[in-house]
Amino acid sequence: MVSFDITAFIDYVKPIAPHLILIVAALLAPAIGSRSEKMTAVFMTLAALSAIGVTAYMMYDGYTGTFAGMYSFNDFAGLMALLFLTVLSITSLMSVPGTERRRRNGEYFSLLAIATVGMMLVCSADELISLFIGIELASIMSFALVAMKKNDPRSSEAAVKYLITGGLSTALFIYGMSLIYGLTGTLNISGIIDHLAAADVTWSYMIATVTLLAGFGFKIGMVPFHAWVPDVYDGAPTPVTTFLAIGSKKMGFVVFFKIFLMLFMASHLITGTTHQLQWVFAILAAITMTVGNIVAVSQTSVKRMLAYSSIAQAGYILIVLPVATDYAMMGGLFYMIAHVFMKGGAFVVVAALAARGVGENISDYRGLSKRAPLLAFAMLLFLFSLAGIPPLVGFDAKFILFSSALEGGTWTWLVAVAVINSAISLYYYAKVVKAMYVDKGTTKDRLKIHFSFKVAVAVCAVAVVVIGVFPGPIIDLCGLGADAFLHP
Amino acid sequence: MVFGISFMEYAWLIPLFPVIAFVVVGFFGNKFKEGGGAIAIGSAVIAFALSALVAYEFFTGSGDAFAPEPFKWLAFGKYELNFGIYIDSLTCIMMLFASFISLLIFIYSIGYMHGEGKRKRRYYAEIALFLAGMLGLVLSSNYFEMFIFWEIMGVCSYLLIGFWAFRHPEGDEASVKAASAAKKAFLVTRLGDVCFMAGLFVLLWAFTSLDFTVLFDPANMATVDTGVIMLGALLLFGGVIGKSAQFPLQDWLPDAMAGPTTVSALIHAATMVKAGVYLVARSYPLFIQSAEVMLVVALIGGITAFIAATMALNNMNLKRVLAYSTISQLGYMILALGAGGYIIATEMAHGDVEATVGYTAGVFHMMNHAFFKALLFMCAGSVIHAVGTEDMRRMGGLSKKMRITSLTMLIGCLSIAGFPFLSGFWSKDMILEAVMEPSSLGLEGQIFMLLFVLALITAFMTAFYMFRLWFLTFKGKPRDASIHCHGESPKSMTMPLMILSVFAVGSGFLIFLGLNDIITFSVISGDFVVGGHGHTPGHILDAILTNVWTYVSLAVALIGILLAYLIYARGSLDPSRLTASGKSRLYRFLAARYFFPQLYDQISWKLGYSVAKGVDYVDKNMIDGTVNGLANSVVGSSGSLRKMQTGNVRDYLMYMAVGLISAVIVLYVLVTTGGL
Repeated sequence: MVSFDITAFIDYVKPIAPHLILIVAALLAPAIGSRSEKMTAVFMTLAALSAIGVTAYMMYDGYTGTFAGMYSFNDFAGLMALLFLTVLSITSLMSVPGTERRRRNGEYFSLLAIATVGMMLVCSADELISLFIGIELASIMSFALVAMKKNDPRSSEAAVKYLITGGLSTALFIYGMSLIYGLTGTLNISGIIDHLAAADVTWSYMIATVTLLAGFGFKIGMVPFHAWVPDVYDGAPTPVTTFLAIGSKKMGFVVFFKIFLMLFMASHLITGTTHQLQWVFAILAAITMTVGNIVAVSQTSVKRMLAYSSIAQAGYILIVLPVATDYAMMGGLFYMIAHVFMKGGAFVVVAALAARGVGENISDYRGLSKRAPLLAFAMLLFLFSLAGIPPLVGFDAKFILFSSALEGGTWTWLVAVAVINSAISLYYYAKVVKAMYVDKGTTKDRLKIHFSFKVAVAVCAVAVVVIGVFPGPIIDLCGLGADAFLHP
Repeated sequence: MVFGISFMEYAWLIPLFPVIAFVVVGFFGNKFKEGGGAIAIGSAVIAFALSALVAYEFFTGSGDAFAPEPFKWLAFGKYELNFGIYIDSLTCIMMLFASFISLLIFIYSIGYMHGEGKRKRRYYAEIALFLAGMLGLVLSSNYFEMFIFWEIMGVCSYLLIGFWAFRHPEGDEASVKAASAAKKAFLVTRLGDVCFMAGLFVLLWAFTSLDFTVLFDPANMATVDTGVIMLGALLLFGGVIGKSAQFPLQDWLPDAMAGPTTVSALIHAATMVKAGVYLVARSYPLFIQSAEVMLVVALIGGITAFIAATMALNNMNLKRVLAYSTISQLGYMILALGAGGYIIATEMAHGDVEATVGYTAGVFHMMNHAFFKALLFMCAGSVIHAVGTEDMRRMGGLSKKMRITSLTMLIGCLSIAGFPFLSGFWSKDMILEAVMEPSSLGLEGQIFMLLFVLALITAFMTAFYMFRLWFLTFKGKPRDASIHCHGESPKSMTMPLMILSVFAVGSGFLIFLGLNDIITFSVISGDFVVGGHGHTPGHILDAILTNVWTYVSLAVALIGILLAYLIYARGSLDPSRLTASGKSRLYRFLAARYFFPQLYDQISWKLGYSVAKGVDYVDKNMIDGTVNGLANSVVGSSGSLRKMQTGNVRDYLMYMAVGLISAVIVLYVLVTTGGL
């Protein structure tokens, strides 16, 4: 007799419980969406919040477990799930009053939720195939999401570009994966790491790792695999841009951490020297942050400027890979969390203004401090935080990350590059602040901002200030996450 | 425990209510009557009530310092910065008198600031924030927290001195003066604050924490080099010199009188300037680690007491005389603390510490002075409110029209002059005794002998200038017909005067009611306690009344009063004969405040300006050049890099391919050459 044991079933799926909540929500969303768009957004926000609750409880409980030998839940997967779910909540909130999309498309929220599931799966994946499934799940949803502005040709163009370049990156990734399988004979990530760390660097080794690097470099917008970023960020609906900038990019970093960071640390344990790939990463980090910042200087559109600044921010986070210490990993996690709120907040402001007919050019932001004082002030906080001005969270993030790179002395030059880049970045952030506060606008009409934008902006602004002043609890959390990740 | 509640646990609420008042009044003050003054008063009432409950609980408790586990704010590496509360007898005394006097001055402000219109909102918001700063400082559990509140008070002091920097009731010239006085106060105290901050760095580096519980633990102190502690203590004392207007940074306080008189009474007499003295008393465990530090403390205090008193001798501005007197009295307190600490420090080296009166004397005088000096300032405010000028040459004969003010001010003057059995008498006497104590200690003893003589002369001068002030203001005939006295001030102003005069008379007796046992200082926690004259009231009275110096100082003070009476009330001595009608060198030297303002100006102009010029040169030619060059190259390369963004997917794919191949090449080079 076949009996169904409910507790055994719950234990079985517990490691992917947050994912399941979202999947169910994604299936329900179109049904609700056919009635009211507002309700779908609220529903999706609530679903994300309940998944956050479940995840937080599991972490608080100290739960660890593995689903089908493919996906594990630990403090790291939990922390990243919290991050992606926060991204989903922010994105859902800012999707309510959309002038940028057609009405009543519940599938939009389904796509968002499924993409989030993909990202969360990447974080808990233990082997390359499950990792790949997660990545593709997120990517394919993203392609569709970018095209959501159905009557705007820019949106469709961006989607096509994204799809083609994304296709190349997938091809590179699969190619690299197959080479790796050929080299090591396993798809289990820790098995691969053990093998590669001990192996000599041969041609196939080099090509395998570099194709993997290029494939994921595409995801995080690493120069020179970044060219899609400005076009796609600019063309996509702003909530989707936000989702890509603060969510999907982090997935790329997690993959980098899972494969390369672990490889560097394992190799360091064996040989005691710096892995050659670390130098490649250091060079790429320096190029990425420099190109991102320099090109951002001459942008006239706020959205494009933020896109380039995203590239630059990715360059900062890349510092974790060459440094490859526990402290750096902790700093990287902290930076990613900080980035969610500061970059997310800035994009929410852009979306809120766009919803009220304010253009996306810096010149359109003139005199904003008079038209929407609180929103302008929040934008100032986000931009200054991105530039790394204390006491905002961006400062703490940079401080921890850069100070981790100074330990040991090998990467001092990288920190110097990063600091000079931070100084350059202040220029283009300040340009927006100047437009908002110093320049006179053509009109002084007050802007009425939609409530859900206000909530999203308030959440981000409070986080930017509060975590900035009291970083302690978040730092501890990141420390736990880094520890669970590096020493499972 | 009071009513079954441990109020000490909730001591952090004490500064919170003034903060709430600050926010409410600051944003919505004009929606209330009197600019929200009632809210500020209410917050002070709550703060005082809570302080009283906390103090009651502490004094009925075990007497050990109450320091709950602090809130961890920042930890970097092995260093940590926390927020917490620390309650011991010093905290209790300070917060009691600070909140009580603030309360009275807030009430007094209702009358004094009545005519200020919409600006009252700003005034009440700022004094509420100030009170929060003061109480926060007193309750702080570590130096870092203390420093934050210390700076909050500095900002409030700056804002309130410059309260009339716009639309001064006496015209534009006075506005400019108020603005520059505010700046001066801010900048000069800043010099001290920088030292304070440097001291924090030194101590944090040495102890990895700034919590009092860590720093004052003898076990921790033993692990740190005494030279480092000495450096830290001296740097902290730099902060004291700035905040408490000690020599050579004393000059900002007289100028600070440009603010409203209530501000002078509150901030520049009763509370904020006491923060420096409080810091010395609080840091006693660190300071007594070296006798040299204590010698410096005593010397600075003695010199300040003396020179500030001399400057008060011939000043004709009612408030400035009081300001000099405040500086002088602060010097007294610092002197007492220094002398007491010097004995402890030297005796600790020999291993046997006997009771010394210095610590008790300094803290006791700090409390008494808060009462009588606040009283004097508020009386002066009442006079200024009535006659509209601060120039004593234009006053005279006011006692008939302002009975309450003149009487209460007389009590204040008698108290500060050390007239027997008023509060100033007891503490001044203890100070003189404290300074006398180390004079038997060899060569350095000679220095203390000298300081004692200075202190004695200061006592004489104090009595003289205070009564000069009183006779000039209230006795004789009105000297300026154009001045019209409005008569006695309103009740809201005279009530606080009367309440304070009770304290100016009686607060000294607290020493017989157990205060002597409360103001004590344990060298090693629970092991040895240094207090005053023993424990029974009879003991204390005996010690004071059988001491020959008590009578000497009393005689000196009485001579001072008599001299002032002869010159300014009887007119039997013409002061212009003494000063050659204001032409004698000494007179001009004192009137010019020892040329300190000029000295500051010279230093800041000569030194500051040449440094500034050098910096400007480097900035213009080297830094600007580099920055502009960098900026131009960034903008230039930005333009050309931007062209790479063609919009063609073809190009994008090519970049990826090129990037991939270059990465392989780089890696190959690295592998074959063995890394960079």
